[in-house]
Amino acid sequence: MSEPLLTVDAVDAAYGSASVLHKVSLRVDSGEMVFIAGRNGAGKTTLLKTIAGFMPPAAGTVRLEGKDLRGIRPEKVARLGVRYVFQDKRVFSKLTVRENLELAAHPSGERMSDVVARMVSIYPAMEKFLDSKAGGLSGGQRQILLIGRALTGNPKILLVDEPTEGLAAGVIDDIFRLLSEMKGRLSMLIVEQNLPVVARLADRVYVMKEGKIFQELVTRAEIEETGALERNL
Amino acid sequence: MITTLVYGFTIGGILYILSIGLSLTFGSMRIVNFAHALIYTTGAYFLVVALRTLGLGFLPAAAVATAAVLPIAAVIERYVIRRLYGESLDYAIIATYAVLLIGVDLIKWVFGATPIPLSDPIGRDVGLFGISFPLYRLLIIALAIAIHGALYLFFKRTVVGKIVVAGLEDKDAVRSLGIDVDRYFAIVFLIGSGLAALGGVLYAPITSVHPYMGFQVLLISFAVVIVGGMGSLHGTFLASFALGMVISITGRFWGPAAETMVYVVMAVVLVFKPLDV
Amino acid sequence: MTGKLRRIDILLIAGAFLLLLPFLKFQRSTDYIIFCIFVLSFDLIYGYMGRLSFGHMLFLGAGAYGATLFAEHVSPNPFLSVLFAIVAAAAVGALLGPVVVRTTGAAFALINLAFNQVGHFLVLIAFARYTGGEDGMSAVFSKVGILDFQDKRLMFGFCLACLLLTCWGMKRLTRSPFGILLRMIKENETRVKFLGYDTFRYKWAAYTISAGVAGFSGALSILNYGYVTPSFIDTNRNVEVIFASLIGGAGSIYGSLVGGVVFMGISNYLPTYIHRWEMFLGFGLLLLVFRFRTGIWGALSALEVFRPRREGEGG
Repeated sequence: MSEPLLTVDAVDAAYGSASVLHKVSLRVDSGEMVFIAGRNGAGKTTLLKTIAGFMPPAAGTVRLEGKDLRGIRPEKVARLGVRYVFQDKRVFSKLTVRENLELAAHPSGERMSDVVARMVSIYPAMEKFLDSKAGGLSGGQRQILLIGRALTGNPKILLVDEPTEGLAAGVIDDIFRLLSEMKGRLSMLIVEQNLPVVARLADRVYVMKEGKIFQELVTRAEIEETGALERNL
Repeated sequence: MITTLVYGFTIGGILYILSIGLSLTFGSMRIVNFAHALIYTTGAYFLVVALRTLGLGFLPAAAVATAAVLPIAAVIERYVIRRLYGESLDYAIIATYAVLLIGVDLIKWVFGATPIPLSDPIGRDVGLFGISFPLYRLLIIALAIAIHGALYLFFKRTVVGKIVVAGLEDKDAVRSLGIDVDRYFAIVFLIGSGLAALGGVLYAPITSVHPYMGFQVLLISFAVVIVGGMGSLHGTFLASFALGMVISITGRFWGPAAETMVYVVMAVVLVFKPLDV
Repeated sequence: MTGKLRRIDILLIAGAFLLLLPFLKFQRSTDYIIFCIFVLSFDLIYGYMGRLSFGHMLFLGAGAYGATLFAEHVSPNPFLSVLFAIVAAAAVGALLGPVVVRTTGAAFALINLAFNQVGHFLVLIAFARYTGGEDGMSAVFSKVGILDFQDKRLMFGFCLACLLLTCWGMKRLTRSPFGILLRMIKENETRVKFLGYDTFRYKWAAYTISAGVAGFSGALSILNYGYVTPSFIDTNRNVEVIFASLIGGAGSIYGSLVGGVVFMGISNYLPTYIHRWEMFLGFGLLLLVFRFRTGIWGALSALEVFRPRREGEGG
């Protein structure tokens, strides 16, 4: 079996003296869509932050295609191909949608026409917003813009933190469709509390509880049993 | 009264040029940079050197002085400011104040503590509203407006400017795109420092040049930044001229109280608009 | 935890200052003591509450001018003058508190600086008629019974007693629930608010107390020298107490004392050897900020060998 794209091995993390992650291990293989489920406070966001380089792990390793990511600053980790989409759906509100994408394309030098084309292909409705201020977008549109931003420069893996949080059902469908289109073409590690979405999309699911990986669900059957997921949280 | 108003605008212009760099640094790096006042003072002193020792005309001297300050600003940024990222604010205050102390003492050592008066470089007056004003002062106002316009375009049109705007709003998000924001903030710091030096150069002929001139503007420039809002171009612009007016008008009625009035305004603003630092 | 100043502490402190005597004259040594009181007052806000003020001289000045004006216009009784000074300074602190204490970080530092400047202006210009303006004014205190504070030895002893009193007061305060709460506010004010405390009132109280103690030191200075000038309220001198607090170690009583003495020593002796001593001060500050955050006392405390025994620990 080929080496996983991303390996997290026995990672500990703490805020000051408060331990938040305890011996967390997981992996994401190339092209997989892996979800992390768990209650609030389980440490999911901290885990993503640690992988992306925003927090140093107190112990353990994080490897991208075998390369040790520890101690590398987040902007460098991003250039290595890890894109982290934050939880709060914050865009650069004073800039237009196009400018948001322009900044995202800046480090990789990808042509704007390609970037815009990609954005529109995954979400055609974005076309009419290209030159409006990003601050005026709705929550769902922002999330889509954020994903569009993260896709520039053809990253290796996307870390997405709660994409459907706070969104209405119809918009969640949009996000869902977007994600399913990306499935298989890109590796993703997604934190999500919307269990039906998880159940339908996931290749694998890790369940986190109190800073630890509680369970790994691998087979289709295990994953689709949303009820079981619910119980384990 | 008109003289007072024009004077107020002149001070406002200088304040803007001086404070905009501070505002940007404050907004981007979240660092209270007391060393900014040192750059201002150094600019004025370099002007003196350029004028007297090098014998240059005012315009080239001003350009040389402003440019010569930049390496010093770069050194301060590299060895002090950058080490203060993410640190507790108190340490940033103390460290930059220390830089200010060192610099002022250095200046005293090299140039002595006696004030150096400079004369109006243009020496011509212009008639406006029936009163004659030194052309120099009007030019300062024009320059401040021009700089504001230039900065506005910079932040709106250039990629560097947009990165800074984005970084001011959400630094981590910019980093997550793979952009080294700190390097761009350093550019902003240099621009701000250059402007501070320019402020010193421009104000030198109006006041006199002495080692402690930085301390005099230190607090006022912070007042401008606080009243106008950190990192806000327009806010700083408005606040500069508003406070310039406060100084001028108060000065007309009760001379020495002019600057004190600014602090009162700052205190009032701080009560109603708490700082987000 | 008791807040008692143990006998050993009293002996140590008193002894340390008495040790100064062979080197300095009485009046000078008293200076050291008085500055330590000022540093203690500053440390309450900086070390314990965690807020850096760049305008603490305001309260020292308020106390200095308060004592002088009281002696001049009301009664030359030194005790009453000092008492008035403390009250006056505390009153200023209480008045400004509601505005100041709501701010934090940069705003806190600057707003204190601003008020200090205003105070300086008032003393230097606005009320120059009463304060003597740039020249300052003299303060003459009467004898109280057999106590004559012109006697330098008496002054020294009195100030030493005042210092011990202040140390005792600080110790009690910082070990009390109030003090503990202050420290918690320093760590995480939001959490304290969530616990249901009105943090504003605690901060206000701490600020007022700090102001009063600073005024105390200002008044004692006047008692020592009999003359007040605007330098007692000079904004640029704030760096002195900040440096002292840092070099000694913020957040500890011994730290404040060590810092006060060290700073006074440096500022008294260094200028004779190093001409550019303000630059030296600047470099010293940088060194402290980047390398020696915890100051001398902090570094010493970290050495297991020389740890002051805390109450309740065995031995």
